[in-house]
This record gives sequence, C-alpha cells and structure tokens, in this order.
Amino acid sequence: MNLDKTKLMHLRSHLVSKTSHRSSHKPVFSTLAMLMILLSPWTLVAQDGPIVALVGATVHTVSGDDIGNGTVLVQDGRIIAVGAGIETPDGAEVVDLSGKHLYPGFVLSASALGLTEIGAVRATNDLGEIGDNNADVRAEVAFNADSLLLPETMAGGVLTAHVSMNGGTITGTTAVMRLHGWNWQDMTISTPAGMRLDFPSVSTAGDDEEDAESSSEAIEQLDELIENAEHYAKAKAAGTVDHDPKMEGLLPLLEGEVPLYLFAYNKAQIEKALDWTAEKGLDNLVLFTGQDARYVAERLATENIPVVLTGILSLPWRAWEGYDTPFTTPSVLHEAGVRFAISDSASSFGAMNSRNLPFHAAQAAAFGLPKEIALRSVTLSPAEILGVADHIGSIDVGKEATFFVSNGDPLEIRTSIERVWVQGQEVDLKNRHQYRLYDKYNNRPRPAATSE
Amino acid sequence: MSHISNPRRTREAMTRASLVLLSGVLLALPMQAFDPDAWNAEQPEQPGVIVVRGATIWTAADDVSPEDAVLENADLLIRAGVIEAIGQNLQVPSDAVEIDGTGKHVTPGLIDAHSHTAASGGLNEGSNNVTSEVRVADVLNPEDVNLYRQLAGGLTIANVLHGSANAIGGQNAVIKLRWGLEADGLLMQEAPQGIKFALGENPKRSNFRAPEPRYPTTRQGVEKSIREAFEAAIDYRDAHQAHNRALKMGKKNLVPPQRDFQLEALVEIMDGTRLVHAHSYRADEILMLMEVAEDYGFTVATFQHVLEGYKVADELAASGSGASSFSDWWAYKYEVIDAIPHNGAIMWDRDVLVSFNSDSGELARRLNLEAAKAVRWGGVPEVEALKFVTLNPAKQLQIDKWVGSLEPGKHGDFVIWSGHPLSTYSRVEQTWVDGRKYFDRQTDLEARETIAAERQALLQEVRDSGDERAEDAEDTEPDPEDVDRIVDSYHGHPHQESGR
Repeated sequence: MNLDKTKLMHLRSHLVSKTSHRSSHKPVFSTLAMLMILLSPWTLVAQDGPIVALVGATVHTVSGDDIGNGTVLVQDGRIIAVGAGIETPDGAEVVDLSGKHLYPGFVLSASALGLTEIGAVRATNDLGEIGDNNADVRAEVAFNADSLLLPETMAGGVLTAHVSMNGGTITGTTAVMRLHGWNWQDMTISTPAGMRLDFPSVSTAGDDEEDAESSSEAIEQLDELIENAEHYAKAKAAGTVDHDPKMEGLLPLLEGEVPLYLFAYNKAQIEKALDWTAEKGLDNLVLFTGQDARYVAERLATENIPVVLTGILSLPWRAWEGYDTPFTTPSVLHEAGVRFAISDSASSFGAMNSRNLPFHAAQAAAFGLPKEIALRSVTLSPAEILGVADHIGSIDVGKEATFFVSNGDPLEIRTSIERVWVQGQEVDLKNRHQYRLYDKYNNRPRPAATSE
Repeated sequence: MSHISNPRRTREAMTRASLVLLSGVLLALPMQAFDPDAWNAEQPEQPGVIVVRGATIWTAADDVSPEDAVLENADLLIRAGVIEAIGQNLQVPSDAVEIDGTGKHVTPGLIDAHSHTAASGGLNEGSNNVTSEVRVADVLNPEDVNLYRQLAGGLTIANVLHGSANAIGGQNAVIKLRWGLEADGLLMQEAPQGIKFALGENPKRSNFRAPEPRYPTTRQGVEKSIREAFEAAIDYRDAHQAHNRALKMGKKNLVPPQRDFQLEALVEIMDGTRLVHAHSYRADEILMLMEVAEDYGFTVATFQHVLEGYKVADELAASGSGASSFSDWWAYKYEVIDAIPHNGAIMWDRDVLVSFNSDSGELARRLNLEAAKAVRWGGVPEVEALKFVTLNPAKQLQIDKWVGSLEPGKHGDFVIWSGHPLSTYSRVEQTWVDGRKYFDRQTDLEARETIAAERQALLQEVRDSGDERAEDAEDTEPDPEDVDRIVDSYHGHPHQESGR
C-alpha cells in the first residue's frame, strides 16, 4: 500500500479529536476512530471497505489551496487522502476526472426541503406547528427522503440542507440533513442543530398604536416563556413539578447546549432581538437574517455573532436605498469581519429552486465579494456556522465524501454539474423526476415533414 | 409573520405618517439612489451621435453566421436615437459621444414579456371571470422605483399584464422603461395592443379562498367561459356590422347597438389586432386554447409560463404561438409539478419561438442570467439563449421591427456590460433607451454620497424643528410595497393574485 503516511497521521489525529465532539450521534464512528489508533495504517486499510480513487481533477478543497491534477481517496464514505501525487492503492476503483473540477457539495443553510413538496398543496407541507412554543418539536422526523425536490437540488451540487420549521415563536429544533439516503435517520448529520426562534416583529416609527401594542405584547410573552422555563428548571431540580415537554424542550437552549437560531429581518427587529438575547444571556446563537444585516454589521462583528444571510436576490426594502443593496450586503459583512453564510430563504417557495444557491453567492461576487469568499459562503462557512464542519464543507481528510464534479466554475450558471457523491455514494443524476420528463419528451417522435 | 410587521397596517400607518408628520419633509426625501426627483425629471438628453468603440457586440440578429453573431472589437453607432451601423472604425462627427467599450460587452436592451412593474393597485378585476374592458395603461405608475432598478439590470421594455384571476383578463401595456417620464411617456406607441388570458388553477380559484364562489371551478369551465365570451362577441360584431350595412344602405332613424368595451376587445382579438397572452401551465389547457383560438380565427400570440410547453412543443410550433416561460420555476402549486428547466431548450429545439420572462420586479433585474439557464439546462447556444430575452420576446410582442436586436434602423436600446452578458459575475454599466442614457452605474455610485448627505440634512432639519416625532424620519422600516414581496418569499405564497 502506498498511502501517504502523513495523511494518515493527519486522519488519525483528526478522528481522535472528533470523538470528543458530537460523538453521540455517531457511535460507530468513534469506535472506528478507536480502532484506527490501535491498528497500523496497513491493516486498517485492509480491513475496511473498498477504496475509490478520484484522480485527475482540479480539487477545490475550499479549506486550502486548489490542487491541480489531484487525487482524492474515499473509503467507507469518508475522505482518507487528498493531494497531488498520491499513488492509487492496489485494488482501488479508479474514477478518472481529468480536466474536471471537484468541489465540496454546497450547503444550504436555511431550507424547507423535505418538509414541503408543493407549497400551495397544504397536505404536502409539514412546516409549521400550532402554538407559540414548539420547543419539543423536531424538524427531521418528517423529512421526506423521497421528496421529488431532493434529487433536483443535488443536480445543482447542493448536497446538504439545514431544515427548520416556522410555526409559532419557538418553532422547534432544526437539523442538518444529507439530501441522499434511505430515510431521515440515516440522512441526519446533526440534530438538534439549533432551536429556531422567529423573533416577534418590532414596532417602528410609523406603526400605529395597535401595532406597537401587539409587538411589545409578543415580546412580553416571549419573556414570560423564558421566565417560565427558568422556573421550570428550578422546580424540576427541586422535584416539585410534573414533566412538561414544551418546557423541557427549552432547557438545552437556556443551558447553552443547543444554539439559538434567531430569525430576525429588519434593522429594528435585529437590534431588539440582539438586545434581548444579551439580556437573557443567550450568547450561543446564529442570526438568520437578510439585507438589513448591513446596518448592524459592526455590532455583529464585535459581538462575534455568525450570520446566515438570505435574500441576496431580493429588491431593496426601501425606495431610497441603492439598487444593489441586497447584492452588496455580503461584501459589507465581509469587510466588517462578520462570519457569514449565504443561503436561500427557508420558505416553502424557496425549496423548489434550492439548486440555485451558488448563484446567490455569485451575485454577491459580481458586486464586490471576493470570489473565494463567495464560494466559501455556500460551502465551508455554513458548515462551520451550523456546527457540522467536521463532517462536510470542504474536501479534507476525515470529512464525508460529499462533493460534486463540474466542468468549470460552479458559481457560473453555464457550468454543468456532472457527477455527485454523497457520503461516498455516487448519486445517479438521471434518476430524477425532471430528467425523466426531459428524456421522455426530448425523444418524442417529431412530426413527419409535411409535403410541400 | 412574526418577524415582519403586518404590511397592510404598516402601509396605512406610513401613509398617515407621511400625511400628518414632517410637514412634507418626508415626501421631499430622496426616493431612489441617483436623483431625488428623477421620476419627474427631464428625460436624459439624446446625443446626436453616439459611438461605442471596441466592444464585444452581441447583435442578437437572426440569420447571421455564428462568427458574425458576436463581433469582437466592434463599434456601435447610434444617430438620433436610431442604430445606424455596427462595424469597425466607424466614422463619426467630432461632437459625437464616444464610449470606450474596450473589455466590455454590448447587447440589445433586454425585454420582459411578462411583467407587473409600474402597474399600481389591483392587478385583477376579480369580480368577473371576463374583464376584457379593463386596461393596465390606465393605472401605470411612472414613479415605481422598480423601473429604475430594472434599468440597472439592463431591461428596456416590459409587457405589463394584469393578473391571472380571470379566464379573460384585461388589456396589457407594452412600456419602455423611460424612467422620469409621465405614464403616457412610458407607453411604447409602436406596440400592438394585447390582452391577458388565464387558464388552470388561478381562474378556477384553486389556491385561494374567494369571498364568493365563482364560475368556473374546473378547466372545462374555463374553456366554456372563453367560448361563451367569443360567441357573445360574434353576436355583438354581427349586430354592429348589420347596423353599419343598414346605414350605408341609407336607412334612417336606426337605433345603433349599444357599445360594449368588453366585447369590443374580443372582436379585436378575432380581427387579429389584439394579441392574446395566455397564462397557462399544463399541456391539456394549452391544446384546448389553441383549439378555441382556431375556432374563432386567431392565433394565441404567447402562451405565458407555459411550463408544460415542452410536452406539446410540436403543436405550439405548428400553431405559430410563442412561448414565454419561467426558466426553472416549478413545484409551487400542483399544476407545475411537471415543470422542468429544459422547457425552453426543448421548445427551442422544436422551432417554438421561446422567451424567458420574469413575472417579478426582482427577477426582471437579472433576465440575462435567466437566459443563461437555457445554456445550463439543454445546451441552447449562448447566442440563441440571449435571444430568449431580446429578439424573441420582441417578436412575440410584434415589436421586432423596432427593437430586440442591434441592427441598423432599430431603436438605440442597448446595454453595456462589464463582461460576458450570460456570466453571473457581470454587471450592467450603462443602459440606453432611444439613444438616451437612463442608467449609468458610475453616476449612480457617485450620486450616493450626495444623496446620503442631502438626506441627512433633511433629517437634521426635522430634528431641529423640535418635533418630538423627528426620530420617525429615521425610520428604517422596509418599504411597505416590498414587505409584501418579502413576506411572500418567506412564507411561501407566490404572487398568486398577480399571476403565478
């Protein structure tokens, strides 16, 4: 065997560090890591599954430099080596990707995929539960592994989605999902990824009294909810309260074990929401927001709050703003030093065109965001922000073999995504609803030429 | 809607605020990025001669060899608002406006065959299933800032349509984006008149709770509604023709048949002087309307959306109807579950006249990138894909004699791009309409500081006035109109009332 020894060393240390992090949902993996420490690289390779060697592509790792004529070795769904000049192990299946480009799968950091099929058909939506506090509801249990939307999304190179619900104020726990698999359980990368809170709308100038009242009432209710949960925690410790799943659901959030995924959009709402989280001591948070993030960029940088930015391809919200306001917001955040990912919105309507995620980032690049940051904002940055960078987001040893092959820059619409792998499994891009229809009607016999 | 305030209430509140507060100061605030009073400013001057030098020119003209379709290092010469020549080293008078096109790309102005921009108020006269008497031209709002924003995306012409609530909707308006002129100045006088039809879920009110049940509730009923309307129109036409004949024969004391604007528009369709733009999705309803049109002696000018057009591409081609499609939208309602992004490519390959439209104030800013999707999905050549948003919609609207390509004799409507027009990394640098520069990114950027300063000065004036509500002037609540769109995009309700 001719595996690069330093790569394997790197792999080992990586896996060891992993066992202490999020090991709970991957018990098999931690066992594997323990084995690796005990066994020599030689026996390790011999005892595990077959190796696939992807050779010849320009490997865009995203985490580091591009590797020309690179090799990526995959085994048991993971990347075990990345580099130039790596020899192909005996018996490995070789995939020749000469002249092609290999990229980590795009990561959609706000999505309704799997939870909705057709927005207008109510029966196909599992997006919002009734009630203000849905802390005990988890998004992934209704993730439809056979949604027609998933293969179409993968055909655009988008291979992972962070899904959340939107009912009430506390909408439920969210999950990071692979888009390929047999069922929601084996498709789940991380759960709970976060607890989604749709911050109440905030009264601003121009609102009438009724609006102002309902806005402050909603925030008071939220205060009360958190207060109740704190009381519940104390009462629970004292053994003086019955089990309440909705209160129970809030405890990991209050203890900072589950990050707060805070959804707030316009400037006043963002500012109020950030004040509120500071007041409650909820400092493990990610802000899901839109173009107004530009007006709070410095604060987001100072307070080191990561951002999932949606709505790049939107109109400016105010007539006096520059026509390119949503397009330039990413570069404003970048220059201010804010950590951010770019996403489509988590709406049901957005789900069908999730495959266009890279073009949201490209629009930001056209308006000032450095291209490499644009690429990062839909790959490694969302993986980091969502806490799954040990699994996905870049082409690195130890991560899942979740990547795609293209014939050029995938932020360009004219580039084709040609092949896709999720966790080491190649996905058949022809086995999908839209391709089947294309193939059927593209081959419809043409009408006979009519005689003159 | 927890994260956005109620848009309707906000709008009412804002209206009140602008009326009562700030004694008009708020109204005097700059309304967009490049000129505070642009909507009623004088239109940009029209230089006698303009020449763009040394650019890569995409003419979008038909019947040219592939090597002549994209001209490298070429000049474009406009005289008195009309294209005079495209070539190399073109001679111009010394006072000509010279634009250095080195490294730039030039295309015709983009054309959106399905828009609701600048149509104020309700887009549907939903009280009736047949409303051919109402007119978009009556409600054009030249102050809609999206006109400017779309110019900044290279758009120069839009087919402004009613919504799709009615089997037979209202009369359209084809506009040029002459930002700054009054409503009448937007109208493209050369354009033939048209009308909106709608088939499928929207006219049968599948996805919304109508206050009153309304006929029809099936696709079969939609056909019946359209046929009944044309039968009434035939009777109307016959009555008028009989009356006119009788007058000619010298009969006296005749009572003329009553004039009916609804039926008159339908007669114009049968006469071929009013173009039908039919919102449609499924193959069955497309075939149905083609049959109806044949029975009443007209050709549908465009099937709009036409997301299953690829299933009946040969039939569309044979009928001579155009197809104006979304590039890749699907699955937002049941009737679009079979929509595929190859729709444009398959129809194009089978000789259907294809355009891609926006149906969205936002998407209309990026139609060039919609065209690029025809390259991605189905491999339409770039030159042909660009025609999906230039020459082809011009043909569909029957205005290709004047616009849609860069050819001598056509209007001086063109766009200067920072790079390849189908690249996601390119930006619009300038947009010209009738040989007048309506958008210039450089000017826009330079004006921002001045405008920000002016805005701050006005705000200061309000603060100094001691009005306790001065802080209101700093309000950064989103524009209420846009909140509607934001809420839609976050909550999964496409603009059903406006047409999707």
